[in-house]
Amino acid sequence: MTNTGKTFILYDCSLSRRAIGRVSSNLREMLDALRSVNDAVLEHHLMRCALEDYFELYEFPNDLARWCWEGLGDQVLGEQLGLIDPYRYRSLAELRTDLINLVEDRLWGLNRVPWCRPGRELHWVESTLIAYDTGERFTTTAELAQAVGRMSLRSLFFHIHEARRRLEGATDDFSAWLEGIDAPNALIARLRAVDFYFLNLNQLRQELLQIFQDYSPTTLMKTAR
Amino acid sequence: MTLLDRYEEVVGAQEIQRLRRMAEVLADKRIIHVNSTRNGGGVAEILRWMIPLLGELGIDARWEVVTGPPDYYRVTKTFHNGLQGQEVSLKQSDFDLHSEVNRENARRLNLEAEIVIVHDPQPLYLPQFTPEGKVKQWIWRCHIDCSRPQRSVWKYVEQGLAKYQATIFSMPAFTHPLQLPMYIIPPSIDPLSDKNRPLTETERLEVLHRFAIDPERPLLVQISRFDRFKDPLGVLEAYRLLKPYHPQVQLALAGGPADDDPEGSEVLREVQERAGDDPDVKILLLPPDSHCEINALQRSAIIVLQKSLREGFGLTVTEALWKGKPVIGGACGGIALQVHDYHTGFLAHSPAGAAYRIRYLLRYADKCHRMGANGREFVLEHFLLTRHLRDYFAMILCLDQPGSCLFVPFDKE
Repeated sequence: MTNTGKTFILYDCSLSRRAIGRVSSNLREMLDALRSVNDAVLEHHLMRCALEDYFELYEFPNDLARWCWEGLGDQVLGEQLGLIDPYRYRSLAELRTDLINLVEDRLWGLNRVPWCRPGRELHWVESTLIAYDTGERFTTTAELAQAVGRMSLRSLFFHIHEARRRLEGATDDFSAWLEGIDAPNALIARLRAVDFYFLNLNQLRQELLQIFQDYSPTTLMKTAR
Repeated sequence: MTLLDRYEEVVGAQEIQRLRRMAEVLADKRIIHVNSTRNGGGVAEILRWMIPLLGELGIDARWEVVTGPPDYYRVTKTFHNGLQGQEVSLKQSDFDLHSEVNRENARRLNLEAEIVIVHDPQPLYLPQFTPEGKVKQWIWRCHIDCSRPQRSVWKYVEQGLAKYQATIFSMPAFTHPLQLPMYIIPPSIDPLSDKNRPLTETERLEVLHRFAIDPERPLLVQISRFDRFKDPLGVLEAYRLLKPYHPQVQLALAGGPADDDPEGSEVLREVQERAGDDPDVKILLLPPDSHCEINALQRSAIIVLQKSLREGFGLTVTEALWKGKPVIGGACGGIALQVHDYHTGFLAHSPAGAAYRIRYLLRYADKCHRMGANGREFVLEHFLLTRHLRDYFAMILCLDQPGSCLFVPFDKE
């Protein structure tokens, strides 16, 4: 599925999560899991977990960083994992290699293996993303800009985060489509430059709205004057 | 006005349109839910809204209830306790009785459908006694906190799952390795039910008057069955620790009996004894249909407590958050999923901890108010029935087409 025609197709999505029955209660167990769980599990805990964020409750953008920080009390590793941006990797295999290296390196330098208290274990989960065409269509930049304010957060996730996975890190659906309808290059560049992984979905919506606002015909006219 | 129109007023047109969109894809499925009671407990409450709503969405859905002799409910309550980690003693005759009642119910109930969702252990063995081919996919929906079950009970559950295609748990922490997919679907509340709809001031005050609660003084409320895992005695202790600092505080412990819980009266008696003759403590045993009363109590509370020691999900927490109340909850089960320190309330690990957090919130009214507002937003986004239905629909789609990503095209063009 790509959004490259003259009409933008709005998708929404739902996540169906499945526990894989695997639990980590210390860093060594986490490392073992990182080596052996399937790609869908990594994808869930590093990327799709954004769909479960509430307000600005979490300091880190992925489950693994959060667990190391809160569950294991390993702030150093929490910070390092928080800085990993999975969307910059061309494949989950490369991401996995870096994660393993990072955790191995951390374990190497520690005298004892960090562990969590009962009840704070990391329960590994995989997920299926079900994306469905909502039937809504846009043909102009203004229509898309207006829709960003009211579309579900799940739609935002699909067209920004999921698009980066689908399109192998190159772009998101919005800017790809805008490029095809000859929207201003500066608008496209700003959309592509959004550090979306750092934001929760509500914050992302606000940032996108601001960008569209800055490039709306009325704003541009005012600036020109 | 249809049910969906009414929900649209709460969750917005877009959410309902999305639900319709997903339901279209599943229109050819017949779905049956089976549980063990139509009255009392969270499961019956969920099914009461879910079945008509599925109907309006064009899905053929029915609700069946298994029945059995009183001894059967004693056994299933023991299963429930055992799955929640309590030491239990079960004889072979207990397992035999459970199995036999399931056999009789399988004979009695009409279970012909594409999907049968079996709730909790009471009807777990129905697939064993249902003729092959009648049901295409069996799904076991476990609402219980099974994080540390008694081994003998869990083994019996595992055996019962032999003919199922999938399971559903409220949280990953409640699962144990199984040879079946273990879907994660938290439950939800119905914002239009009598328990959650907005009340008029007259309705609210009438309930307080009836229970001799002073509307001018702060009220703490815990709504739950009289069950040891809900720790009503711990709540009383927290109240006693707080009382010297806030002598004006009142406490209401309110709960109803569930048809499938024979232990309730014993726990109620213990709670009444411990409460003594304190006029500011109200122990209220409410009939199963006391939804407006519970609604009024929750809306009248300054803080809602749910000091459970084990909890499946804790829908009473969801209800309180929806009403804009901060919650002080036991750090267990689904409560930890809903109560986030300093955001929607506090998790407490002891009666002293609960008393301390109540003191904090009574001291800082602005924080109390803000946490309440956060809680309502939080439930709107994550724990209303629309999200619950969406999760169910997503799971059903996945059952037929597993994988990491699934696209559903729009076929009306």
